[in-house]
Amino acid sequence: MSSQASGREADVRAIREGAARVADSGVEHADLLVVYAEALVAHDDGAIAELRQPMIDALGAGGSLEAVTVAANFQRMVRIADATGIPQDGAMMTLVGDLADRLSLRDFASAANTPEIGWLQRMAGKALRPFSAALMTFAAKRLNAAAAKEADR
Amino acid sequence: MVSFGYEAAPVPVRDDIVSAHQRAWERLRRPGSWWTGAQRIEIAAEVRNALGCDLCRERKAALSPFTLDGDHHASARALDPVAVDAVHRIVTDAARLTESWVSRIAAEGLTYGHYVELLGVVVTVLSIDEVHRGLGISFASLPEPLPGEPDRVRPDGVEKKIAWVPMLGLAAANKGPNADLYAGLPVAPNVIAAMSLVPDAVRQLEDLSAAHYLPVLQVMNPQCGGRALTRSQIELVAGRVSALNECFY
Repeated sequence: MSSQASGREADVRAIREGAARVADSGVEHADLLVVYAEALVAHDDGAIAELRQPMIDALGAGGSLEAVTVAANFQRMVRIADATGIPQDGAMMTLVGDLADRLSLRDFASAANTPEIGWLQRMAGKALRPFSAALMTFAAKRLNAAAAKEADR
Repeated sequence: MVSFGYEAAPVPVRDDIVSAHQRAWERLRRPGSWWTGAQRIEIAAEVRNALGCDLCRERKAALSPFTLDGDHHASARALDPVAVDAVHRIVTDAARLTESWVSRIAAEGLTYGHYVELLGVVVTVLSIDEVHRGLGISFASLPEPLPGEPDRVRPDGVEKKIAWVPMLGLAAANKGPNADLYAGLPVAPNVIAAMSLVPDAVRQLEDLSAAHYLPVLQVMNPQCGGRALTRSQIELVAGRVSALNECFY
């Protein structure tokens, strides 16, 4: 959705296949970001150290810091999801259900926590997907406006 | 206030990150809803012990993580072995946790409330430690615990419906003292609600997420980028970490 929102098509297979697909991802410095994520998850301190300066050179100090904190954040989030058995939210499954198939995410044991979607939901998802970024942006802006109004009261 | 020092970091660490980590350590040392401050610090220490645990390494390599028994590389004196085991499994092999295991440990005394609060402590410490690892600096010393008893407050309206633990839904939260948990959201995303049996665990989640990733309301807007990375770059890192952990959600 973020690539849709930015107007640049992204191939998401790099998420699942890593280095083999970074060239197709359409994301700047995808190669470094993917390899860094892999090093952190593997707790490969040597690889993390080797990547540090290339990441600073490519992404800047702020960008390399953000890559660190985002990776750290998701090392947390995955454990929250997997330790509580939460299913994927219904609306999200409608929008990205077939993505789960394309990326073979149902191979994961934790996929058992999220029921398969039916054909009607799949059709709705396909129809809505071209507009999903715009829909989410619209909804988010409305929410932020409401939150700001509430804060002013 | 517990102090965090990032002078040795290879890049400047933003003030909001430092503040979020300080607040996390302050919350960590206080009694929670189900654990004392001392127990919460022991849980935190076990997060680090789990990383070098031989039993966990063997279980991770095994076809099933539930066929091997043994003793963990643990130092906790105040924690029940069931709690120690839970910490180690969450840290090292969360993708293969099961509902029957969560139910079994609840029957063994690690109630849902204890388990959720333990989970909240584990993931907070793990996340902050991962930042330190990523920056190539030593883990922060754990804080000294504060005295006091847990408040044993279970929020009104929690229900066990879609997950392995009871959660607080949007309507129930908005009626009472936990209305801030999902403030401004039209629905309670499952990953935010997951630890709502212990509302402070959700508050901690949101506080750290805002610094490490994005504030919750910005997550919903795909046009919101990061401070220095584009949104696509952020989501690539997030997605790759999640896939490597085999997390479907």
